[in-house]
Amino acid sequence: MTWTDEELVARSISGDADSFNELVLRWERPIYALAYRTIGREEDARDVCQETFLRAFRALPGFRGQAKFSSWLYRIALNLCRDWVRRERRAPVVQAPENVDLIELAAAEEPSESIEDLVARKDLMKAVERAMALLPEEQRTAIILKEYHGLTFQEIADLVGCPLSTVKTRLYQGLTVIRRELARKAKT
Amino acid sequence: MNDIACTYGGDREQTLIAYLYNDIDPAERSIFDAHLVMCSRCRRDLDALDGVRTQLARWSPPEPDFESIRNPRSAPRQTPGALSSLKGAHQSLSWRAVPIWAQVAAALLFLGVSAAIANLDVRYDQNGLTVRTGWSKAVNSTATTANTPADANRAAGDAPWRAELTALEAQLRSEIRSARAAAASVPTRSAAATDADVLRRVHALIDESERKQQRELALRVAEVFRDVNAQRQADLTKIDRNLAFIQNSTGVEILKQREATNYLMKVSQRR
Repeated sequence: MTWTDEELVARSISGDADSFNELVLRWERPIYALAYRTIGREEDARDVCQETFLRAFRALPGFRGQAKFSSWLYRIALNLCRDWVRRERRAPVVQAPENVDLIELAAAEEPSESIEDLVARKDLMKAVERAMALLPEEQRTAIILKEYHGLTFQEIADLVGCPLSTVKTRLYQGLTVIRRELARKAKT
Repeated sequence: MNDIACTYGGDREQTLIAYLYNDIDPAERSIFDAHLVMCSRCRRDLDALDGVRTQLARWSPPEPDFESIRNPRSAPRQTPGALSSLKGAHQSLSWRAVPIWAQVAAALLFLGVSAAIANLDVRYDQNGLTVRTGWSKAVNSTATTANTPADANRAAGDAPWRAELTALEAQLRSEIRSARAAAASVPTRSAAATDADVLRRVHALIDESERKQQRELALRVAEVFRDVNAQRQADLTKIDRNLAFIQNSTGVEILKQREATNYLMKVSQRR
């Protein structure tokens, strides 16, 4: 039987540790992705992810279900990311992604793409990361939440505490900057 | 090209974004659909933003070791705050994760050890059930039981109980001895296990490092190939262009010489 987040939260509050573990399994990937895309460092994103669940675990008895559990979790993660950025006082770092094993891909009998395509794709990923790193924090957050987590404009507005129209403006401005940066990169 | 006038009545940027993400009121969507037919600027912007989304979709974060997130003790590096606090939470969680039967067994063992240490004396006689603790009391009570004939008779009547209690005591003592022996042997075994674990982890780290280096090398080689190909292509283009220029120049020169020859022939024929 699949429990909803809210049911798992209720069971966790009543002392069922397995239910909280289930929530961690369900949300660790999105929270890690959010942290990684916001701060750009793999290890720090992992720490933020751990800390998010730790804080959620501690604050769980106080969770009254005013918002969705996921929104509550996103809010904790975003606050931690914001703290990280302020503590480090710098823009997100651009790291070369390490998730593609070129050796294995090259050794495969029928590789899905050539090495050249793979390099081009990685180049594009780096370019996107660099362009994202150029954005102000609020524009980057809006794009990440909308583009990669599929939140509605209203959910983003509630999460970051700004009017709905501001969310759309931030998205437009952010996407425009990325469009310009990618076009500039394509010319060089 | 951006200076083409857009006559959209509402907030153009916000509507574009809402339309782009399909998070728009149906009525507003219809209006904007009609506007798009007329406005090439909005169409172009929409296409461009859609292209940006396609490129953004290709950005995926590296796959982390989620086990180290769930269990920070196996993580290679932690920030001190996160590590210590999460360890505490995990310790409390891991105790709750111990099966019930193991908890009951542990409780029984604890009770047995406590009873043995306290030299528990359980007696059931005319006065009912008596439970006493302490080493001296047990000895004294045994000594006093043989003092009078009545006590001797009672002692004879209690003999089965006493035998059972003695057997129980002996059993508890032997169990405690074996438990102590087991506890003493655990550190040695765990030390050996720890060494093996460390060795395994070192091997894993070395393997991982080698894999990363191979990946990096393959990536660099691929990049060099790509750069070489790009340079070769650029050189070929340059050579083609130069050849074309030379051909043009040669053609022009030939044309000039032909004209000069024709002129000279005409002049010589007139004379």
